[in-house]
Amino acid sequence: MKQVQGSFLTGYVTILVKGQMPELFFQKCVKRGILVWNVKKESQTACRGNVKLQDIKLIKEIKRGTDYKLSFVSKKGSPFLLKRFLQKRELVTGLLLSILLIFCLSNIIWDVKITGVPKDIEKKIVKQLDAYGIHPGSWSLTLEPPSVIQQKLVNDIPELLWVGVNKKGTTFFLEGVEKAIVKEKEVKGPRNLIATKKGVIQNMFVSKGLSKVQVNDYVEPGDILVSGKLNFAENENEEDSKKEKAKLVAAEGEVIAKTWYEVKVTVPLKANFEMLTGNKEKKYYLRFGDFKLPIWGFGEPDYKRIQQEENDNAIHFLKWKLPVHFVESILSEKQYEKLERTKEEAIQIGLKQAEKELQLRLGPEAKIISQKVLHETTESGKVKLILYNTVEENIAKAEPINQGD
Amino acid sequence: MKWHKRFTPWLTKHLALPSDVILELPRITMIGQIHVYIENHQGLVVYSETELKLKTNKGYIQILGSSFVLKMMLPEEILVEGTIDEVKFIPA
Repeated sequence: MKQVQGSFLTGYVTILVKGQMPELFFQKCVKRGILVWNVKKESQTACRGNVKLQDIKLIKEIKRGTDYKLSFVSKKGSPFLLKRFLQKRELVTGLLLSILLIFCLSNIIWDVKITGVPKDIEKKIVKQLDAYGIHPGSWSLTLEPPSVIQQKLVNDIPELLWVGVNKKGTTFFLEGVEKAIVKEKEVKGPRNLIATKKGVIQNMFVSKGLSKVQVNDYVEPGDILVSGKLNFAENENEEDSKKEKAKLVAAEGEVIAKTWYEVKVTVPLKANFEMLTGNKEKKYYLRFGDFKLPIWGFGEPDYKRIQQEENDNAIHFLKWKLPVHFVESILSEKQYEKLERTKEEAIQIGLKQAEKELQLRLGPEAKIISQKVLHETTESGKVKLILYNTVEENIAKAEPINQGD
Repeated sequence: MKWHKRFTPWLTKHLALPSDVILELPRITMIGQIHVYIENHQGLVVYSETELKLKTNKGYIQILGSSFVLKMMLPEEILVEGTIDEVKFIPA
């Protein structure tokens, strides 16, 4: 009976044969290799039996030369079920729509979860993600890969030390680590102010303590600038003062001194750089393995040089990744620019660069007063400069007084 | 041909080859009274609720009974279901 198995899948038909000796019609069919089953004689002139759907054509051919009358009584099997189903328009459209809906919803970001950072930074991250187009309800097919988002976030939010971006289904998980800004420990109790760098004192603003140096004094690192030891009894009675303990206070104040820095910079005379002109075109593809099917954006843009950027995202259906990827490709026009500088221009750029560098190193409170070129050489297309910078900055640093008990 | 007729019985006897294959005889398998399975026949001649007649190379096989249904028909095989009363060989 195994020949009959599987006939439900391929579909079968019950046929009714009428005529003289109807069973002989089935015999003819069998001779031609057609499988017939459940043959039943209903009367002298009628006989019914099942045949496979694929054999119908051949049966009609056999029938043509005979006097038998053929009628199809019932059709069974999946092809007929499918056909009947497809005839119900509303049902089919409903099914298609629901699949489409699930499809759409599977590719939408439902949630962005941020952990590990305080509320204010979380808000900043949310705002920044909004700017990238990542928020609940956005379409996830055109997004950049998480690693890129990660990089961007760290660059755009200075408070973040690191952020891990993970996309799990329709949810973005972000785990941030805040930069811990360590404040310098303030020394409590009695303390002196000492110099951190060598320099010439320009200004002193002492609010507490006894200044040990004067304006225009030269100091070396470690010199006491403002002392926290106050000796009031000094003038009154020398003998008494020895007994009397010196009063100790926490010295406070700013000592602005002129300091000097040597900075070396090199500036190339020629420079090449790439620049995007701002013209761009977007193309969209569906990618199946290696095959890319363009769905939007045809034709090549007539740019001479093209910077290509691709965002490749797998299309999801519920929790499964489909083997189809949605690719957004951005073609931007780019230009190569060549730049040649004269020596004077290069020196100017060098000066600015050195100033920036120094400012970055010393902090925003330092003031660069003057820059001098000590030495300049031109070597293999580069200008090397040694610059001498004069800076005014606070050189005071608190240091506790060791009371020695 | 004569040599062939003498040779094939010898084959089945001494080499234990199945006789239905060598002699081109029908093989009839019955399950109680309800099923008959006939292989190696040469075509259906008569079929009704109460009678089934099949051609073989040495005549006919007639099966009598009641409420026959041909459960399966293949070029050389046939499976009959019903109540079987008689199986007869009718020489041509």
